[in-house]
Amino acid sequence: MKNNSDKKDGKQASVKTFKGPGLRSQNHPQPGHGKHKWRNIRWAILLFFNVLFFASFFFDIQILEGTLSASRLLGFHMIDPLAALQVILASKIIMVNLIIGVVTIILIYLAFGGRSFCSWICPYHWLAELGEKIHQILIKKKIIKNHTFDRNIRYYFYGIFLALALITGFTVFETINPVAIISRFIVYGPSLMLLWVIALLIFEILYSRRAWCRYFCPVGVSYQVIGLMSPLRIKWDKEKCSNCKRCQSVCLVPHVLNDCVNKGKSEYVNSSLCTRCGLCVDICDDQALSYGVKYLDKLI
Amino acid sequence: MTVKQSKKPISRRKFLKTSTLAITGGAVAYGAVGVPLLRRDGLLLRPPGALAEDHFLASCIKCGQCLQVCPPQILHLAGISRGFGIGTPYITPREGGCLLCAGLPCVLACPTGALAHDISLGKDAEMGLAVISHPDTCLSVLGINDLVYRLKNLQKKKTFSPDQTELNKILTALIKKLTEDEKKVWQSKFALPDVSDETLISIPKQLENSDLEWIIKFTESSGQGQKACQVCLEECPINDEKTILFVNKTNPDTKQDFLWPSVRKTCVGCGVCEEKCPTPVASIRIIPRLKWSEKQNGSQTRKDNLT
Repeated sequence: MKNNSDKKDGKQASVKTFKGPGLRSQNHPQPGHGKHKWRNIRWAILLFFNVLFFASFFFDIQILEGTLSASRLLGFHMIDPLAALQVILASKIIMVNLIIGVVTIILIYLAFGGRSFCSWICPYHWLAELGEKIHQILIKKKIIKNHTFDRNIRYYFYGIFLALALITGFTVFETINPVAIISRFIVYGPSLMLLWVIALLIFEILYSRRAWCRYFCPVGVSYQVIGLMSPLRIKWDKEKCSNCKRCQSVCLVPHVLNDCVNKGKSEYVNSSLCTRCGLCVDICDDQALSYGVKYLDKLI
Repeated sequence: MTVKQSKKPISRRKFLKTSTLAITGGAVAYGAVGVPLLRRDGLLLRPPGALAEDHFLASCIKCGQCLQVCPPQILHLAGISRGFGIGTPYITPREGGCLLCAGLPCVLACPTGALAHDISLGKDAEMGLAVISHPDTCLSVLGINDLVYRLKNLQKKKTFSPDQTELNKILTALIKKLTEDEKKVWQSKFALPDVSDETLISIPKQLENSDLEWIIKFTESSGQGQKACQVCLEECPINDEKTILFVNKTNPDTKQDFLWPSVRKTCVGCGVCEEKCPTPVASIRIIPRLKWSEKQNGSQTRKDNLT
């Protein structure tokens, strides 16, 4: 039912069909399926929650108070697991509120898919996405080259900064945490630490594609662990897939699709690194990719 | 990316290795160098209930929820110059002191206990202590009434359009303290219908220069005008605790009697006195974290800790 020549020279075809109409869809009409449906929903939600944070202080609307480090949703504690771990290790005291807050976060992201925090909530990720667009343009014009780093650095960071918190008794990472800095900027106004965030963004644009989120950010690691257990995943339909691999060309973490699109081994995108951003769902003309709930899908 | 990978597998692997080493090494170095560098000796005035500074820095998760619930909105978040204090709350007493609100909402809001939940009353806070930092300008020592002082300051601003908000504030404070007879003088001077406080304060917005002079003279001669400034005590949110006692003293040189504002043990260092002190540079200031015992041990002016 699909053009099979596509399968053979997947890479080239993906380049060819990336921008223009290409495969899009003479054969498959798209019933009300906007090209950026999930991206727009995602950005709207990201904006919505960050505006809630902003409004809590600026307009004193007490729905979501605090920042991404720690907040209260209608009075219920929510605390970033990495920040909470650092505080516990630095102060050597376990506060009940911290536990409650972290458990709430774990429950929420169990339902909504782990690293979905990154692409659906984190304001730094949004900036990085924009930076990535600029980066890609510059790459295309051959002005710059991309450099990749080891993806495991994030885990080293996680360990190092937790160890530092324990040894020094200070939440060392929180001084340079761009997520917290941006979040505080949104709610309480600018601080000089924004310069560090801007430097990071420039580094990402000019040197390494979305480097912080891809290789370094230890905040995402906590959510990654939650994501391992979260049943909300991207679902891949082998039958419908024409293997054009455009999904991988837009994916924020392209290798997470390997098991499905490249190897055909798995029905779900099982990698914990998947941010459930939905860019692949948007780009897929074959409707082979969709949001699914592992385990439950089968029951229904 | 993949193309590059297949072309130069070795150099890429090398790059990955060295960059990983460099970056993780950088993180460790940041911890090793950053901790001594980013530790600041300077103490900030923290919200009520704050743990000892090191514990506070360890516990504060930098979420700013204390700012959100602060009714007078006097908390700020520290910037990069504060070392590990980045994102931690502090008070600039001269800009706005802590009012020790009932129930201490900031303490209740703190999710990590950096503002310890074991205090519930403002008078139990231990933020610091007030000290008379400039006895030479202190109006109480000089025997000057604060309202007269402020009115004269207004008059000194040569361009005559007395700052209405400041004037209103002074008059509001003054009228509350006038006796009935004095209020009547006020009433007749400005031809007001009655002597209720509201009417008295609502005297014409457009005061003439001569009116201001009259007000100053009137204030000086009023019973209130005879009293030396006690603003620090009057404005203290816990003045029921007798935080400041005005002690009779005599100047050994001029043999003049004056009242010395003596800060008592009950002072918690909220900073309202520093905020309200009418002299251009506050004559009373808060030394954050200063304990009563330390103060008694002699060092009334412990090394300047404010910045």
